[in-house]
Amino acid sequence: MNAKRFTLEAVEWAPWLPPVTLQTATPKQRAALDNSPQANSAYFRTLANDVDSLAERLPLFHAVMYVPRGLKRAERELATVVVSIINGCVYCSSVHARRFVELTKQPEIIRALYKQGVDTKLEPRLRAIVDYAAKLTREPATMTVADLAPLRAVGLDDLEIHDLTNAVAMFANANRLMQTLGEPVMPEGAA
Amino acid sequence: MTQLPETADLLESIIGVAPGSALSQLRAQRPDIVRHTQGSHDVLLSPVDPGGLSPAERALVAVRVAEISAHVGLAGHYRSLLAERGGPPHGERANTILRHVACVTAAPGTASHEHIDTLRAVGLDARDIVALTQVVAFVSYQVRAATGLALLAQEKVQ
Repeated sequence: MNAKRFTLEAVEWAPWLPPVTLQTATPKQRAALDNSPQANSAYFRTLANDVDSLAERLPLFHAVMYVPRGLKRAERELATVVVSIINGCVYCSSVHARRFVELTKQPEIIRALYKQGVDTKLEPRLRAIVDYAAKLTREPATMTVADLAPLRAVGLDDLEIHDLTNAVAMFANANRLMQTLGEPVMPEGAA
Repeated sequence: MTQLPETADLLESIIGVAPGSALSQLRAQRPDIVRHTQGSHDVLLSPVDPGGLSPAERALVAVRVAEISAHVGLAGHYRSLLAERGGPPHGERANTILRHVACVTAAPGTASHEHIDTLRAVGLDARDIVALTQVVAFVSYQVRAATGLALLAQEKVQ
């Protein structure tokens, strides 16, 4: 894990395929990009090569990460950082670790996850969330109802477990796109 | 174009969630997730314009991801879809695609720029490579979403 340069600094992303340019985008591609968080991002412009899948994925991602009620946003972000650490996605972990810190002002939790791994000591509620996220990422086929018991013990309700599941699932998706269509570009001076 | 059999919601049918059940009502609290999970499935597996990645190849890819992930229900669904469409021709192109699929599914952090060249060499263009990667990423998502939902469903009947 130390070979991967997980960071709380902003990381850029460089595509391995030519991204669609805003000048040459078809009206459909332009509409999908305008619906993305950042029309000019190289990542979304790369995905715009297959515009119909991008047009479905953008509202799916938004609904999983940002729709109100249910699991707190910070806890969704934390789950996605855990998934990204396990899958080795330096870019995704940087983006979502920073969102977690913005929401919680607790960078020490991220630093502990980066330094000691996902088994680092955490308060019970976060421990249960992290354990579920890790197992659903690594070995979904071995999971049983018993894996919900720690979440219930710290008080998660049905909607929170539903939201946690989808956040973990969404980053099984995001980490695969991000790491196999391009690569992270580290900030200057990063170790 | 091959049409999927009418499935109102693939995840619920695979897990065996009855319409109107507690779990179905739970999912209905997140209507955009339900809609765009099914929508992603439909545009990736049965696109109106498949470009250079055929419907049979898309089904083959989805079967492989579900099998590597050991999800019995999804593997069964995609095997039926593949059988309906007839498998794509055996050979270097299918082998190259499936090698890449195994990498993206099981070890996404090990992919490299050279993988893209290998895919281009068997005839995939930029759009096809993005579509291929989206299929793998989507089924990887679906496996986790289906697993978590199934746990909630099982918990309810205990």
